[in-house]
Amino acid sequence: MYLTKEEERTYDGERGWTDQTCMKILVRLGELFNAAKLVRISSAHVSGVSYKTLGDAPAEFLETLANAGGKVRVRATLNPQSFDSEYLGRRLEQSLREKQLNVLKQFARMGFTESLTCTPYYLRKPKRGSHLAWAESSAVVYANSVVGAWTNREGGPSALAAAIIGKTPDYGIHKPENRLPKILVNVSTSLRNESEFGALGIHLGRLLKDEIPAIQGLGNTPETCLKQLSAALASTGMVNMFHLNKGAQTKTERLEKINVETKDVRKTVESLSTREQSEPDLVFIGCPHCSLGEIKEIALLMKDKKVNEKTEFWVCTSQCIKEKAREYVAQIEKSGGHVLAGVCTIVSWTEKLGIRTIMTNSAKTAYYAPTMNKAEVTFKPLKECLATAIRG
Amino acid sequence: MRNKTLKGRVIVEGHCKAKALVSAKPISFLGGVDPATGKIVEKDHDLCGESVKGKILCFPHGHGSTVGSYVLYSLSKRHLAPKAIINQTADPVVVVGAIIADIPMIDQVDISLIKTGDLIEVDAKKGVVRILTDGES
Repeated sequence: MYLTKEEERTYDGERGWTDQTCMKILVRLGELFNAAKLVRISSAHVSGVSYKTLGDAPAEFLETLANAGGKVRVRATLNPQSFDSEYLGRRLEQSLREKQLNVLKQFARMGFTESLTCTPYYLRKPKRGSHLAWAESSAVVYANSVVGAWTNREGGPSALAAAIIGKTPDYGIHKPENRLPKILVNVSTSLRNESEFGALGIHLGRLLKDEIPAIQGLGNTPETCLKQLSAALASTGMVNMFHLNKGAQTKTERLEKINVETKDVRKTVESLSTREQSEPDLVFIGCPHCSLGEIKEIALLMKDKKVNEKTEFWVCTSQCIKEKAREYVAQIEKSGGHVLAGVCTIVSWTEKLGIRTIMTNSAKTAYYAPTMNKAEVTFKPLKECLATAIRG
Repeated sequence: MRNKTLKGRVIVEGHCKAKALVSAKPISFLGGVDPATGKIVEKDHDLCGESVKGKILCFPHGHGSTVGSYVLYSLSKRHLAPKAIINQTADPVVVVGAIIADIPMIDQVDISLIKTGDLIEVDAKKGVVRILTDGES
């Protein structure tokens, strides 16, 4: 792998232990994937922030990096944590809160932005064609496919190393030839809501493995539905992007074709519910984190309605979007719901809060919650989720 | 007595001699290895219950969450880490873990030639593994 003089000096330790360790990580990974060089990135996004999934090991490493003077060189954002300070934090024991806050403190010492979101593209949209080093698989697929930026699916530690060096190894999807579609997916059914887009993603992820699809037959799709598709595709597959084939942008004549029919989508929707339940402990919207538009839609649908007493109703987003959505947040909270900032249900301590059954419109949450939260799941579109929250 | 030399690719430099602990199965360090004891805790794993401490840990490759890299770091801080790692095909989780924990590592080695209990020497400068004495002899 070719290194510039400056990169070589970092590798040899002239800029301290933290930079040297991070440079070693990038170079070794680059060699593993036959990268010829490093490329500059415009931002990094790090996963592995929730203390619930991390445990104690990473905190030690982060502290060592921060103590050695590690500082990020590019805009660097963080995935959600395990609670929010306003609502869930108050219901958790002190020791867990402290350990989570220590993880955040170490990231902050190194200059990370406390974004705490899985949708960093709502905070600052990357430029088309810019190189990124993002972990968080749902954001990786969205960034490549919808935003038009270029990022591999990084792991937590490799995104951290890229944030500190400001570069990433030039392999995989950073190379134009690796972004071409390999398979044509014809969707011969019309998808009726965001949950069905999620189900399509779960279905395709299993079929495609790491082959980039050109998807045709979707028509004009709202970006929030593409967000559900991205998150679900990344949950069951290794593919890091999709193309929407609206006409003749992509040459697809020679590609292998697969067809998705109504029954494929319906079957997947059904398979994502572990149980049909009319009184879930929790109704959860916001995986991936809600946009301003989604919060507005929920607020309008909840107007003059009351969440029933037996059900918790959570809407998750980032602190930044929550502040922008103040008037809608007030509406949702007036109806008895909670808008939680910086937290993700999958990586929160739902078990400790007594939550055994979850209803959600997110295929990704439906896919992970049975194992990550040891919960029964009912998978329904937004309107049915809200109706259940109200009715109980 | 076998006295064999196997060649591989250096991932993290270093040199050591220890007994081999060999698995035919991939290892997930997050959830699969207890960072407090160094024992493999993944149910149904062929090494379940074994401690990785001080061993030359040989397995095909890692899998699972990238948080697993940090588990290797934590093991090394507690002196519970393997002395070296030999993989068939290195993957990002184990590579990053070996770098931050400073554990000598070689890959592209045919680990089916190594048996648990063999005394082996890892020269992770030249990328060479020597089987010094047979575990059974």
